[in-house]
Amino acid sequence: MEPIIETFESRKKHMCIKGSGISIPECNTPVLPGTVTQRTCVFGGARIVLMPITDSIHLVHGPIGCAACTWDIRGSKSSRGDLYRKGCSTDLTEKDIIFGGEKKLFDTVIELNKLYKPGAIFVYATCVAGVIGDDIKSVCKHAEELTGCRVIPVQSEGFQHYNKTKGHWIGCDALMDYVIGTAEPKTQTPYDINIVGEFNVAGDVWGVKPLLEKMGVNIISTISGDSEVEEIAMSHRAKLNIVQCQKSSNYLADKMEKKYGIPSIKVNFFGIDNTLTSLMLIAEFFNDPEMTERTKKIIENGIEGVDEKIKEYKERLSGKTVALYVGGNKAWSLIRAFEELGMEVIMTGTKNGMKEDYERIKETVKEGTLIVDDANSTELARLLKKYRPNLLISGAKEKYISMKLGVPFCDFNHDRISAFAGFNGFVDFAKAVDAAVSSPVWDLTSTRLKSTKWSKFTKMRRN
Amino acid sequence: MSDVYVKTDGAHHPSEKHFSVVNPSRMCQPMGAVQALMGVKNSITLIHGSQGCSTYMRFQLTRHLREPVEVASTALNEKTVIYGGEYNLMKALKNITEKQKPSIIGVVSSCLTETIGDDMAGIIEKFKEANLGKQLPEIIPISTPSYAGSHIEGYDKAIKGLVEHLSLNSTPNGKINVVPGHMSPADIGEVKDILKTMECDSIILADTSESLDAPLSESVLGLPNCGTTIEEIEDTANSSGTITLSKHADSAGKFLEKKFSIKSVAIPTPIGLRNTDSFINAICDLTDLEIPAQIERDRGRLMDAIVDAHAYNYHRKVAIFGDPDFVVAMASFVAEMGMLPVVLCIGIKSAKFMEDIKTIPEGLSGYEGFSPVILEGADLYDLEKELETTKVDLLIGNSYGAEIAKKEGIPLFRMGFPVFDRMGAQRISSMGYNGSIKTADALTNMILDHYYDEAGYEL
Repeated sequence: MEPIIETFESRKKHMCIKGSGISIPECNTPVLPGTVTQRTCVFGGARIVLMPITDSIHLVHGPIGCAACTWDIRGSKSSRGDLYRKGCSTDLTEKDIIFGGEKKLFDTVIELNKLYKPGAIFVYATCVAGVIGDDIKSVCKHAEELTGCRVIPVQSEGFQHYNKTKGHWIGCDALMDYVIGTAEPKTQTPYDINIVGEFNVAGDVWGVKPLLEKMGVNIISTISGDSEVEEIAMSHRAKLNIVQCQKSSNYLADKMEKKYGIPSIKVNFFGIDNTLTSLMLIAEFFNDPEMTERTKKIIENGIEGVDEKIKEYKERLSGKTVALYVGGNKAWSLIRAFEELGMEVIMTGTKNGMKEDYERIKETVKEGTLIVDDANSTELARLLKKYRPNLLISGAKEKYISMKLGVPFCDFNHDRISAFAGFNGFVDFAKAVDAAVSSPVWDLTSTRLKSTKWSKFTKMRRN
Repeated sequence: MSDVYVKTDGAHHPSEKHFSVVNPSRMCQPMGAVQALMGVKNSITLIHGSQGCSTYMRFQLTRHLREPVEVASTALNEKTVIYGGEYNLMKALKNITEKQKPSIIGVVSSCLTETIGDDMAGIIEKFKEANLGKQLPEIIPISTPSYAGSHIEGYDKAIKGLVEHLSLNSTPNGKINVVPGHMSPADIGEVKDILKTMECDSIILADTSESLDAPLSESVLGLPNCGTTIEEIEDTANSSGTITLSKHADSAGKFLEKKFSIKSVAIPTPIGLRNTDSFINAICDLTDLEIPAQIERDRGRLMDAIVDAHAYNYHRKVAIFGDPDFVVAMASFVAEMGMLPVVLCIGIKSAKFMEDIKTIPEGLSGYEGFSPVILEGADLYDLEKELETTKVDLLIGNSYGAEIAKKEGIPLFRMGFPVFDRMGAQRISSMGYNGSIKTADALTNMILDHYYDEAGYEL
């Protein structure tokens, strides 16, 4: 079989086309040393899950760089405080590396508690903290006893694994081991739920919460977008977990099911079809005729006028192609939403996908779709050049690779500027996609100084 | 001048904060090394560490520069931490050599590999021995543990590493080596314009002006296709002198001075009138060049810009934070404009900075008793606390200052690194007479926007 693009021998099996023999790329293998990886580390994975908890201090136990490069980059919004946006570090220096950083960590935790009186202090172990063997668990325990504040160790040394997913799990474990089940809600209803794996990037959760509340469910906590730690502590009393980011948070939902017997439903609020299916799934779960009626109403109201609102965008977007290269969940959860805009997903891939993620992708995409695992920057550029999609959905590191190639780009990661979840979110999504794809700049980028004729590439794009 | 009032390591708030860093105002050594190496043609940086190091640095750099940024990783994992990173480093060098075909690989260490004690230089030698007879790129180890120093030291070490490994004595070239010590592509562009106008042949170490402000073209993907070449770096040993536009990045100049007896001077970053004068004078001192009319004209235009704006700027109080060379040069410039740089905040401790601050009032009337509050080795928490008591009209620094500015109800003039919430960080220039003119106008317009009404009357 001819390789899809020129690359390392060992990388060839990480790309495949659905319907042509192998339908799942090889995945979950270490990054090839020397390549420009798009992956982050285990510490980054843990931080992603926990960072949106708004009333907490996120203390990075390590040298300054780990905190300096990662604070306040998640794009998670808060309707309450903004403590979570502070960049806190123990700033380990040479002396600490030699003599150990435990004392400094302890002093720092005590000090931060005094300064901010946070809901919790999450202490993240970085590579070097792990190598010098700082016992952050015992420091956290001791500091918690002294302060009365929740001090939670997150054992997230960056080198632990090549797959950031391990970091997600470590973040989830920190919640399981130290937060969930440690407080009781004042009242309980038969309709208590948690929204799990929703990080409120650009305010997504605010497009979902009102719908659920109108249905009549009671949201105990969101884990972890726009949340406070005390709410998560009560989440074990929920009757249902709905899981949005299944990449990072199925793990937590499974653990909660095992320990507390809470069943979970996989939901997806990107796109009309996904949103209404998710709402109906929740209503079906509670099996309350009144709620079902209400839900149908909500859906009716929700979709009313949507077609009209997106008409103009859809006209321009129909027939255009999309490539997805994202952190995980979005590799399959967005596909249907694009189809609703009349667009076709021709490539999808993730940086940290596991076998089950690719199974999911395979089920969702059409025959002939390219599926790619852990593409490094060179491969990504080659794939974009070969397939010339009309849009790439990815994050900040990929943004300028795409745009230099004249491939329109829409950020679905940290730098996203509008909320896309729910019915209203879908209209904003359509608007953002249209803004990325249909801008006249893309007509200009392929013109040449010496000729006013449209180049071949522009013609291709326009057809 | 009275004594400078120094508040070190949060000493200002003795009851509050001793240990923690809250909202850092500096980054780690590898970040600086990456920035330096991006100015070398056909080079690639390989960070020997966990994959997160390279990815998060690329994230910060790419959102500041709005350009693709390539940094390779040896992608260490648990096993390599126990048995050492030799296998991954050898493999990475092989993969890069074969696929990327760079002229030069800068191998930058991280806190992880420094702590586990990997002998990078030794492993690189081993790699070279294993590939005897093959065409290999230049491979340069740069030791940058992130638990020491900051990105400034990392930048300095990378530039020094380049000349240490490559500089070769042959015949005098009559050129001047210039180490910009600053990463803004636009600033390096301004410096190059001055040298060109002076008709001064130069070697810029390293030159990011084109690679990090590249046109929209797929040809710029991959390794930088412009910047300082290996031949130029080799040739630094034959120049007439080295001028470092930063007091904290002069190790390469000192090395060349020691080894090849090439005169080395480190001058203030040429922001503002007097500092740009120093730069022009330093060029003249090292060469027998005359100052051309164009330079005199640009200098006159800067003076004109300052005069035009002085009524709006007089005694406006300013706080500045960032890298020490930038902060002191900017403080000197706003003082020339009649403003009062009353709070200066740097992320590291620096005796050179403390010395330089004392020179700000020289030759300026109205600065008797000039006594700024200096936050040394400070973070943005310290700055925020200080600005609660010392009220200022304007804050100058990177995008991370936005929250403080909002809280204080003052405008933030975005400069330094990173600037991610406005367009054009790669095109912000403040160096030289022309860069200073742009800055003077932009600063004054910001004052006008905030403190004057539509008709131009003071609010």
